[in-house]
Order: sequence, then structure tokens, then C-alpha cells
Amino acid sequence: MIHFYHVTKRFDRYSTALHDVTFHIDKGEFVFLTGPSGAGKSTLLKLILRQMKPTDGQIVVNGRNLNAMRRAHLPFFRREIGMVFQDFKLIERMTVFENLSFILTIIGVPPKEHKKKAYGALRTVSLHHKLNAYPPQLSGGEQQRVAVARALINDPLVLIADEPTGNLDPDLSAEILEIFADANLRGSTVLIATHDRELITRSGRRVIALDHGRITDEKPAAPERAARAGGLFGIG
Amino acid sequence: MRRDAEVPRSTIGWFFREAVRRIWVSKRTSFVAVAMIAISLLILGSFLLLSENLERAVTRWQGSSRVTIYLDADATPSQTHDVDAFLAAHRDFGRRRLVTKEEALTRFKSYFTNLNEVVGELDENPFPASFECNVTPRLAQSSVFAREVGELRAIAGVDQVQLDWDWVRRLRRLVDVINVAGFVAGGILAIAAAFTIANVIRLTMMLYREEIEIMRLVGATERIIRGPFLIEGLLQGTIGGIFAVGLLFASYEIARRLIPPASSLLWGFLFAGFLPWQKIVGLVAGGMVAGWLGSWISVRERTEESA
Repeated sequence: MIHFYHVTKRFDRYSTALHDVTFHIDKGEFVFLTGPSGAGKSTLLKLILRQMKPTDGQIVVNGRNLNAMRRAHLPFFRREIGMVFQDFKLIERMTVFENLSFILTIIGVPPKEHKKKAYGALRTVSLHHKLNAYPPQLSGGEQQRVAVARALINDPLVLIADEPTGNLDPDLSAEILEIFADANLRGSTVLIATHDRELITRSGRRVIALDHGRITDEKPAAPERAARAGGLFGIG
Repeated sequence: MRRDAEVPRSTIGWFFREAVRRIWVSKRTSFVAVAMIAISLLILGSFLLLSENLERAVTRWQGSSRVTIYLDADATPSQTHDVDAFLAAHRDFGRRRLVTKEEALTRFKSYFTNLNEVVGELDENPFPASFECNVTPRLAQSSVFAREVGELRAIAGVDQVQLDWDWVRRLRRLVDVINVAGFVAGGILAIAAAFTIANVIRLTMMLYREEIEIMRLVGATERIIRGPFLIEGLLQGTIGGIFAVGLLFASYEIARRLIPPASSLLWGFLFAGFLPWQKIVGLVAGGMVAGWLGSWISVRERTEESA
């Protein structure tokens, strides 16, 4: 589903964010991407979303070579990916409902279905009562959950999250990761960038570790996790 | 790739809602854009209204064209008879009427009563006798008729042959000049207005820079991103056009009521009627085009910049 072949991303002569990175994530996998700040996690996620192009190497996501992808096709590719951004990227002048409804608008879901779908997505993150609130009226954790709901509303093929639990307490973190696990069970391939080591250890999922732009370690999913495929982060 | 779903039908409604909301949020700048469009179309509309009324006057006069054959002051009765016979023999000249010197003097005195004293002091009647003939306007273009007029001029006792359409033609030329001037002035102003709208949209796009970036990241196509801005320009242009027509109509009605009909010959030229609906629609459409063009210019350059 996600394939990196010798990918290097250089910003200038002195700054290389990723150096000869190669890895493969299969369809339906749930993978953590970890590493300290500045390791290149966010750059890697931006490359998957084609926010930027690699300096060298090839990236194939969902069968599409991102290097060769035409600009006109980019929006349709991005609609297949649910992304939870580190800074949420919610539109502040829109209500929570409108933020979600906008995604449905651009993919052509009839307006009469928006409320039901948005309500359903917000219910998943326990924020259905905040339908008419504006993002600035919400706490950091709540905004993060809205961002998760937005990423999930389109049932994406790939779900990517950049530090999705960064603003959440441990209980809420586990709850959010349960939601990702549910999406994974429904067929989404999930890639989560985090430096929360405890969460990663507890999950028993496959881990790709980055440091200074290189893959330093790769751990497969724990055997029982691979066999169980779900049942999740120690809660529920 | 589902290119057919690039702009879903339900998105069109969203374009309009967003455009109206953005106009409302940027009320002041939108007002400037609308005012620019309205002023330029008002100027163009004024020229059109003037030329429309002159055109009506021209058409009216053309419908009752007349040829006046002035005789020499000392034309003999025999020469007068020859002219009469010529006119009778040529059907193009239609119904004719002899205006004697005395009748011409009486007519002048009735038209210009304040000059009666001056005329009374003259030793002799200075007005020539003449024949007045009604002719159909289509003869203005006829070479046969032109030849007949030439023959008429050559008859002894004929001093001058005056055709109404000579000055109708001059008036028509004036109408053409007014039309061209209107289109040039209105066109230049409309282009200026389009650029004002372009700048307003450019400002709005800068204001929504972050939002546009988010839209791109969640899969909005450039058409979806551009849509509300294009509709915003279109709406500003339409409102400007409607304002221009409204102002023009109000000014026309006020002037028509303030200037008494008897006070001048100009009244007939200026107030024969307002613009026909086709020109009203044309003015509003002009505003729409200017608005659309302005927003298209800025939307295109800004979305290409960020490509």
C-alpha cells in the first residue's frame, strides 16, 4: 500500500530530512513511525500526502507513483487518504460540522446526508455535542478529535496521523488509538507518527524507527497481535 | 481518476453560499469593487441612453422626410410652372405644395414672433417661394433620385434643393460618435473595474491563504477552490450592473421631471424614452463579465503561483 524506495529528501546542501529510506507497508497494516523530534517523521508523512516531492527515490502509495503523479490527479489521490495533522488544520471560521461537511461537499455527497455522516463521525470521537462549536472554542484535545473525525469521515484507504495523541491525556490517547484500530479493522491501512514509546510498546504493532533521517530499527507486530488483528490498546 | 466528479453538482450551491459570505465579511472592499463597476456602467449607460434617444429622433424624422426646392427671388411664373411640371412628372417627389413668398414670410413671423419688428422694417420680402415635397426615406440611398435632384437643380429659376436627410445623416454620424465614445469610455472604465475586482479577489485570497492550503490537503480540486472566488467576482459585477441601471433610471426620471417639456428642443432629443430591455440586460451582463474577468485574472495567477 505504501512503498518507499531509497527515498532521500534534502531541503538544501546542509539539511537532509530523509536519507535513503526504504520500507513497505502492506494493505491493512497498522504501523507506528517513531523517533525523536527532527528524526524526519513529519517529512515522511508529507511525502506520502505529496505535500512535497522527494529529492531522490520513488514513492508508491495505493498503486500510484507519486513522483509521476500529475497535479490534476492530486486532489483525487488525497481524498483516499485521511490525514490527522499535528496542528489539526481545522478551518477556524467554520463550525465543527462545517469542517466535516466540507469534505463531503468536495467529494459530492448530497448535502442532506452531511448531518448524518458528520454526526456519526463526531460520535465516534465523542464530540457529537460540539457540532455547532467553532474550533477556537474547543480545547486542544477536542480539536484533535475533530481532526480525527474529519480524517475518518470519508472511510479512507490510508489513515495517516502526525502525533495524534500529543495533546491528549492517556485515557483519551488510548481511546483515539482504539478509533484508529477500528478503522484498521474496517480496512484502512494506518500509519501513525508518534514518540509516545509506552503507547507503541503496549500496542504490539509494527514499528518503524527513524533517527536523523534514516531508518534505525524496524520491529514487526507481536505474533499474538498479528494473529488477533485488533483488540487493542488495553482498554475497551 | 474520477475527473467527472471534479465539481460535484451540490458544490455549486456551496460556491454561492461561500461567495455571499465572503462578500459580507469583506463589505468595504466589496463595496469599492461594486462602486467601480457601477460607475463605469453608469457612464456607458448614459452614452447609450443619449444615443438611443437621438437615434429615435433620427428615425422619426426619417419617416417624414421632405425635399424643399427654393426658387430664385426673381423666378418668373413660367419658371415656377416648369418646376411644378418637373415635380409632377417624377413620382419620387410625391405630394408637392407651393409655398409662396408671402406664405413664407407669414410662417417666419409665426415661428419667430420676437423678430417681427425687424422683418417689418425691411423694404421687401426676403423669403423665396418654394416647393415642399414629401419623399420616402429609402430614396436617400437611391442613385436615380440623386440624378433627378441634379436635373431639378439645373432647371432655370431653381436656387437651391434642400434635402432633410442631409442633416439627419449628420445627426446619425453624431449618434455613431456618441456610441463609440461611450463604448471607449465605458470599456476603459470597465477594464479598470475588472482590475479593481481582481485586486479585491487577490486580497480575499490572501486572507484565505491558510484555508486554501487546508482545502488542497483534504482533496479539493483547483476548480473547487477557485469556484467561490469566481462567483464572488461575478456577484460583485452583477450587483454593480444592477446599481448602474437603477441609478441611470433614477437620474433619467428625475431629469425628465425637473426639465419642463416646452423649455427646449433638446427635451425631445433626450427624453423620448429609457433604454430598451436588451440594452439594460446588456449593461448588467457587462458588469457580470467584468466581475468574472477580474476574479478569473487574480484566481488564475494566485492558484498558478501556489502550484
